[in-house]
Formats: sequence, structure tokens, C-alpha cells
Amino acid sequence: MNPFASSRAGRAGPWLGIAPGLALFLTFALVPAIAVVGMSFTDISGMPNVPWHWVGLDNYRRFFSAGAVAANLDVINRTLVFALSVTVILNALALLLAVLLSGRLRGAALYRSIVFMPVVLGVTIVGLIWSLVFNPTGGPAASLWSSFGSSSSFLGDPKLAFTLIIFVQIWAAIGTTMMIYHAGLMAVPADLYEAARVDGANAWHRLRHVTIPMVAPAITANMVISIVGSLQTYQIIYVLTGDRPTTSVLALKVFSIGFGTSEQGYAAAVSMIQFVLVAVIALVLLTYLRRRETQL
Amino acid sequence: MTVLHDAPSAGRLQPWPADEQRRRPRQWSPWRLINYLIALAVVALYVLPLLFLLNTALKRPGEFSADPVGLTESLALGNFVDAWTQGNFGALVANSVLYALVCAAVSTVLSVLIAFPVARNYVRWSRSLRVLFVISLFLPNAIVAQFQLVLQLGLYDTRLGYMLLMTAGLGVGPLLVMGYLRSLPRELDEAAAMDGCGYFRFVWTFVFPLCKPVLGAVFILQVIGVWNDIIGATIYLASPELRTISLGLFTFYGEYGNNQWELLAAATLIVAAPLILLYVFTQRLFISGAIAGSLK
Repeated sequence: MNPFASSRAGRAGPWLGIAPGLALFLTFALVPAIAVVGMSFTDISGMPNVPWHWVGLDNYRRFFSAGAVAANLDVINRTLVFALSVTVILNALALLLAVLLSGRLRGAALYRSIVFMPVVLGVTIVGLIWSLVFNPTGGPAASLWSSFGSSSSFLGDPKLAFTLIIFVQIWAAIGTTMMIYHAGLMAVPADLYEAARVDGANAWHRLRHVTIPMVAPAITANMVISIVGSLQTYQIIYVLTGDRPTTSVLALKVFSIGFGTSEQGYAAAVSMIQFVLVAVIALVLLTYLRRRETQL
Repeated sequence: MTVLHDAPSAGRLQPWPADEQRRRPRQWSPWRLINYLIALAVVALYVLPLLFLLNTALKRPGEFSADPVGLTESLALGNFVDAWTQGNFGALVANSVLYALVCAAVSTVLSVLIAFPVARNYVRWSRSLRVLFVISLFLPNAIVAQFQLVLQLGLYDTRLGYMLLMTAGLGVGPLLVMGYLRSLPRELDEAAAMDGCGYFRFVWTFVFPLCKPVLGAVFILQVIGVWNDIIGATIYLASPELRTISLGLFTFYGEYGNNQWELLAAATLIVAAPLILLYVFTQRLFISGAIAGSLK
């Protein structure tokens, strides 16, 4: 019960306080998220004052039409490869780093802070730093390549560009994931390691049978965050290469269709396809990991 | 640089305390050496790109293309002046500071006004409101619908429209504050109400100061979110005089990215410097904010 409710002002106060924030959230976040479903059945454009029509499932048919389906399945495939490889490598490395930089090492906290830095710097600065490093006319990467007697145009190379993007994404995002694992590790009771050691467990056994089961909830959280995040992220790709046939993912397609060619009805349909993909994968993964947690 | 966990507390909680108990603190086992080498390599992977950026920024125009990886022969601080004036960074920085501070301040205040009565169940539908904010984090990608809305409201290409969207779009604030409020005693509200303290006076003089730690994290999270936003700024800020520093840097990259890396590196450092400084001084807030933010 609201203890301030004895006066009229005290009864109205909570709602008066909630109203502006809730109105802002409903108007600019929730209503658009629902409206995007309706928009996906129209041919609305991004240009003001152009008439629009209901077109039924045309946008979805167009996405899977004979002329477009090969390229679009390629994009879906690349979205999945991106999300899967980022999630798996990111989590494996982040957990290893968290164990490695766990406080036993002198200066571990400083090392962790350094690894966390890209999270603060943001996508534009991270993108420019790596564009400079991968500068084909003579960056550090080019010198390294040439010392092995080879050369590459890096982000300009259609075969290599996507791999480099995955690398940069992992480099930039590992700080947060590592910090969550670190927080999980700090909560593991010290006696467990002592008991394991008394029982003759070596470093690998301790990692496998003490650390991993104990941080299983953090693994679940991190895996779900990473997969949902990496299925939706496109800013780093936008900065590093832009929308190219060899590097594009679904989320970047939504942006480049919606604001490049201004076909926002079609972009809304791609949004919905992306949403279904994210929802299905997140639910399956969550169910699987929750079940694993109890088995570990 | 203040570090996240100072040595004594980290020492108490470290995962393998048995090592300390065997009392051989200075002994160099091969495993320990490998541990340090890996840590060193990781730190190098994060520090070297930044140092390379600084090295490039200090080169004279043309020096980079002549010798990209070599140590700079000059301290061409003029690059910073040139980048600042050619990119018109003064106006861009002023815009970004305005957007970041206004959005962060407004959404921090709104977060508390929403979170306090909801966390305390002082309003009907508290539970539904909480669920609503959790759901908001898993909504479909609505950029095209948001754009249509902003267009209809006549807010396209205005400071107000951009700030409203950025304030509404960063929805973790209320959830973070709700989580924190659970640790504050409810008896305080009752005592204050008994003494005749009004609702808003109580929120202002008690809830805000008591929530300071989490509000710092919410504020900082919003500041970096807005400062680093590139997509929102690209979509909504068409007029050059409204643009942000991140967008300005990205435009600058489009103009100078091919041949004038000395200027571009200087520009990148100008944009990164305030973030790095802020990070060094408010690291705890940054990290707790980012972890909580990603845990959504």
C-alpha cells in the first residue's frame, strides 16, 4: 500500500511521476514495435507525402521470390554464421580470460579494465581503429602479411572481409562478457577449490568440474545475450564495410533497404523475418541451456 | 588509473586461494610464466592498436603513406588543429554534449519516477508495468516505424525529435533502478509519510540520494549510448548543424579515409579522448552499468 495515500496529492503522485516516462516509452518504443508488423503488409516509402497501399503478403513473397531468394538466403545464412561464431568464440575466450585474469595475476584488474575499453569507445571509433590497422596500402596488418610473403586488401577482400568483421566484433564485445564471467567467478566459494585440490584434482579438472558448473548460470545468461545481440547488431559492419553482398546481415538489410532505397514496407517485412529468427533461436537456446545447467 | 578490485579484496575472493596457502608466493612455476605471457599478449592486442592510432596522428601529412608502420619522426600536433577545424568538430562536440547530457539527465530522472512506485507496488498494475519494461528489450527492430512516426509528428531533422527517441530507446534504466530499490527499506517511506512528507518531496530528498550508485551507472550508460550512436544520428539528423560528433567522425572518414590517415587518426583521438578520460575516472560505474545493461 502507498503510505502517502492519505492526501489527494499523495494518491496522484505515483501516477503523475510515471506518466511522462511511460508516455515517452509507449509512443517511441512500444507503438513503433507493434506498428512495424502492420507496415510489413504495405508498400509505404520513406519519402513524405507519397501515397501507400495495403499489399498483403507481397513483401514476404518478394523476399522469397525466385530472383531474390538466393541472395536473401545468403544473407540469412551469413547472419547465422556471424551470430554463431561470435557467440561461441566470444564466450569461450571470455571465460578463459576471466579465469586467467582472475586476481591471482599481478595487475589483473588493470588488464581487465584495458580489455573492457572498446565497450566504452563505441562502434565508430573501434571501426576506424581497425580500418587503420587493416589499411591495405601499408598498415601493421599489411606489413605482417607481407613478412609472410603474401598480400591482401583485407576489408576490401570479399573472402576475408567477413572473417575480419567477426574478429573485430569479438575484440570489441569481449569486455562485457568477461566482466560477467568475472563476477560469476568471484561468487564461487573458495573452499570448493580447496576440497578439489585435496581430492587431487589438477587445473583442468578444477576448471571442468568446479568452475564451469558453478558459473553455469552466467554461461546461460552470456550465451543468450550474445546470440540475441549478435543476431541484431549491424553497426560495426556498417562502419567497417557498409552493406556489401559479401558482408551484409539481416539487420543491416533492414537499415539499408529502409533508408537507402526508402522501401520501408519491405524493410518492415525483413524486420519481421529477423524478429522470428531471433525469437526462435533465443527460445531454443534458453531451453537447452537451462536443461544443461542442471546436468553439469 | 583506479582499478576495479583493489588487491586485498580481490585476494580474498580469488578462485584458487590454495596457492597462497601453500606459501610460495614468489616462486615462478612454468604455468605462472605462461599465464603472464598470455596476459601480456592480450593486453598488447588492445593497447597496440591505440598506440598505432596515436603514432599515426602525430605524423606529418604524407609521412604515413611513405612509412605507415615506422615510429613517427615528428610531433605534428597541427593534425589535431586541422582535423578540428576541417571537420568543424567544435559545433559537433557541442551538439553531442547537449544531446548526451539532456538525454542522460532526463532518462535518469524518469527512470526513478517510474521505478520507485512500481518497485514498491504503490500503483495498480505494478506487475504488468514491470513485465512491459522487460518485454521492451526483446521487441522487433522498429527503426522504419519509428521513422514514420517521427515524420508524422514533424520531428524529423530536429534536436527535439532526436533527443526524444534517444531518451525513449534506452529502456534498461527503470529496470536497473527497480533492482536497486529492493535493497532499500520500505519503512523509510512509511516513517516519512507519517511525518507528513509529500510524495514528490520524499522522492526528491530521499529516493534520489539513496539511489546514487545505480543512478550514476544509468546516467553513464545513457551518455555513452548517445555519444556513440551512429544509426539514429544518420537517420534523423540531416542538417549539418544538428549533427553529432560520432556522425561527424564517420563523415570525416568518408572524406579522408583513403589518403589522409594522419588527419583521420587525429580526429578519431579527439572523439575518443573524452570517453577515455571519463572511463579512467568513473570506471566502476561504467563497468557495473554495462554489465547490468547487457543483462537486461
